[in-house]
Amino acid sequence: MKLAFILLQHLAFFLVVAYLFSKSPAFRPMVRLAEDPLGQRQKLFLYFIFASISIAGTYFGLSLEGGEANTRAIGAVLAGLIGGPFLGTAVGLTSGLHSYTLGGLTAFASGISTPMEGLLGGLVHLHLVRRGQAGKVLNPGVALFTTMAAEVLQMLVILALSRPFDEALLLVKKIALPMILANGAGSALFLSLLRDLKGSRDKVGAKFTAQALSIADQLLALLSKGFNQETAQQMAEIIRRETKVGAVGITDREKILAFSGIGNDHHRAGIPIAAEQTKAAIRENRVIYADGKKDPYQCALSDNCPLGSALAVPLRRDQEVIGVIKLYEPRYQLFLNLNRSLGEGLAALLSHQLLRSSYDEQKNLLVQAELKLIQAQVNPHFLFNTLNTIIAVIRTDPDKARELLRHLSNFFRKNLKRSGDLATLGEELDHVRSYLEIEEARFGDRLNVDFEIDESLLGLVMPTFTLQPVIENAIKHGLAEIIGAGTIYIRARRENGLAVIEVEDDAGTYQAPSDDSGLGMGIVDKRLKNQYGDTYGVNIEFSPGEWTRVSIRLPAPSGGRS
Amino acid sequence: MIRTLIIDDEQHARDEMAALLADTGEFELLGTCANAMEAIKAINRDHPEVIFLDVNMPVLSGFDLLGMIDQERMPYVIFVTAYDEYALKAFEEKTLDYLLKPVEPDRLEMAVRKIKGALEGGSQQSFETHPLTRIPCVTANRVRLVDLNQIEYVHSDLSGVHVVGGGTESYTELTLKILEARSSLTRCHRQYLVNPDQIDEITLLEHGLAEIRTRSGRRLPVSRRYLKRLKDLLSF
Repeated sequence: MKLAFILLQHLAFFLVVAYLFSKSPAFRPMVRLAEDPLGQRQKLFLYFIFASISIAGTYFGLSLEGGEANTRAIGAVLAGLIGGPFLGTAVGLTSGLHSYTLGGLTAFASGISTPMEGLLGGLVHLHLVRRGQAGKVLNPGVALFTTMAAEVLQMLVILALSRPFDEALLLVKKIALPMILANGAGSALFLSLLRDLKGSRDKVGAKFTAQALSIADQLLALLSKGFNQETAQQMAEIIRRETKVGAVGITDREKILAFSGIGNDHHRAGIPIAAEQTKAAIRENRVIYADGKKDPYQCALSDNCPLGSALAVPLRRDQEVIGVIKLYEPRYQLFLNLNRSLGEGLAALLSHQLLRSSYDEQKNLLVQAELKLIQAQVNPHFLFNTLNTIIAVIRTDPDKARELLRHLSNFFRKNLKRSGDLATLGEELDHVRSYLEIEEARFGDRLNVDFEIDESLLGLVMPTFTLQPVIENAIKHGLAEIIGAGTIYIRARRENGLAVIEVEDDAGTYQAPSDDSGLGMGIVDKRLKNQYGDTYGVNIEFSPGEWTRVSIRLPAPSGGRS
Repeated sequence: MIRTLIIDDEQHARDEMAALLADTGEFELLGTCANAMEAIKAINRDHPEVIFLDVNMPVLSGFDLLGMIDQERMPYVIFVTAYDEYALKAFEEKTLDYLLKPVEPDRLEMAVRKIKGALEGGSQQSFETHPLTRIPCVTANRVRLVDLNQIEYVHSDLSGVHVVGGGTESYTELTLKILEARSSLTRCHRQYLVNPDQIDEITLLEHGLAEIRTRSGRRLPVSRRYLKRLKDLLSF
């Protein structure tokens, strides 16, 4: 039994190796072992590690009469378990050859048995992988039994090959139990240590990720309200609370916008930027880091400032630096690498968000500008034709002419409304009716209009100029394009919880917009989707030679039937 | 008095133009037309000396109309439009003049002087003509533009010009002469134009006559006078 304890003492060596191994880059593939096979380079690395462990096991062995008790099996079996039959056999062969050169009663038997032990580990590996249980190769229980089985195998080999048999039997009687126990326990402990370390590494990673996401979430919500003194102050406080750094400062290009944490007696919002480091970050558009040792950080505002290290990360909008986020630690505190990469990541994220919001802003402006253009485009032709009509009507029916002029003035007054405004369906219909009164006068018998409006929808709110361009299209590209009479149907109703406005004409002249003819409708659709989401907007159906139907889908106002 | 025609798809615009023309005391108004089809018919029938022509009209624009009128019957053209985007084009087409709606009487006086000058000088207007690819046809009270390659043949009789093809027969205001001159339709008889792409078989008959069978099996007469031209065209 004493032998077993001595061997177990030697295990301390393996645990140290296991610990060092877990810190090495070769350990990383272990984490993903279940998914990918190991690469050639990693296998080579594992070969050296486990061959060393196995050979060390031989050296740590205890010489007994004619033989030795050792922990050579651990390296070979684990190599097989983790790296497969080839690696296991290779490690076993190396270590076995080495043992053989040392000579002794069991030299030949060891040379044979160690590769076999490695192969056994490898076969267990193959078996587990084939059954889709690759994760189990790192299971300490599996390692325990595999190694114990391997040692039993070794004992049998010694008995079979070593001569004289009597001596061999004596030796085996002495070493069998301690070696089986010690090697089994050694493998199991080695793996369990590896597994614990992997677990703790995963946990740190998960915690860090969760923290980064939580900060990012809060900061993005704030940034969507704009980048100014108020939001900057809240952002600084969030970053400090979550990262637990000594202090956080945010500047624009000239002055400190916000500061939170140690040193806030003299680092105050509104003060022009004094730190050379911050100025350099803005000027050179790069991250500047003063770790407090190699690059000392000295506060430019106060000699008694307790802050001793700082990280300055530029905040960009479309390549242009618009400010700096600074993370500080006091003199007695180490600046964590974790916080350094977090700071840089957050600044990148915020820069991305700034770019996006400026892009959204521009897109909105573009839509507004396009709409203005459309409004301006329709006018001349319509206006001159209308004036010509009124001039003609004055000759025969001055009252009718006065009425048309009133409609014309109503139409243009409504057109002057700002395009960003909202209007009710009632107001839109009023606008459209003036337009249609004029068009009916122009086209005479050729144009009939039919309204079918659910009165409960008159309060339905929509962006101004939602209805007018659609109706104008129905006339310009529909009824005005046919010889003979046509009808335009304007309907508003509730359908499946939505409000639907339909403009249908029986000209049947619809053609997919090739140039600017569809532009007006496209803008109406874009605005509705911007405002209410992709469920809403404009939809066109048509049957050539028969009809064209444009449906506008809007969120239904509450109340009324559905 | 200048024999004239007003062509505009808007009733009030026609009325106003008529009133303005009456005020000058220079014109004899032959009639008004609400679209290009009516206009082709009226021009071929009444031979106006000048037309006041709206540009924007349904199906066929004022420009399309000019391409469908026989050069020998072409009246002087004054374009009338609400918006000057067509002005340049109008000059390209060598129209006599153009007026903007609402028309100012003084500006109309100028146009009248131009018309009178042109009528006295007897100057010829020549319009660039583009080959027709679609023929305006009337079927069941609807005007549609029929693709030339769908047409098998066109023939005229006392009731007018008939377009046969695509399984239907419709009616057009265009004359055989214009169709022959401006399209790939070929004369095979005094009263027939055939689309050469639709000819299936030509049977030679006695006395130098022949008969065409079209792809859909219709038979058209070929007169002696046009047989040689047809032979040359189809090189047989």
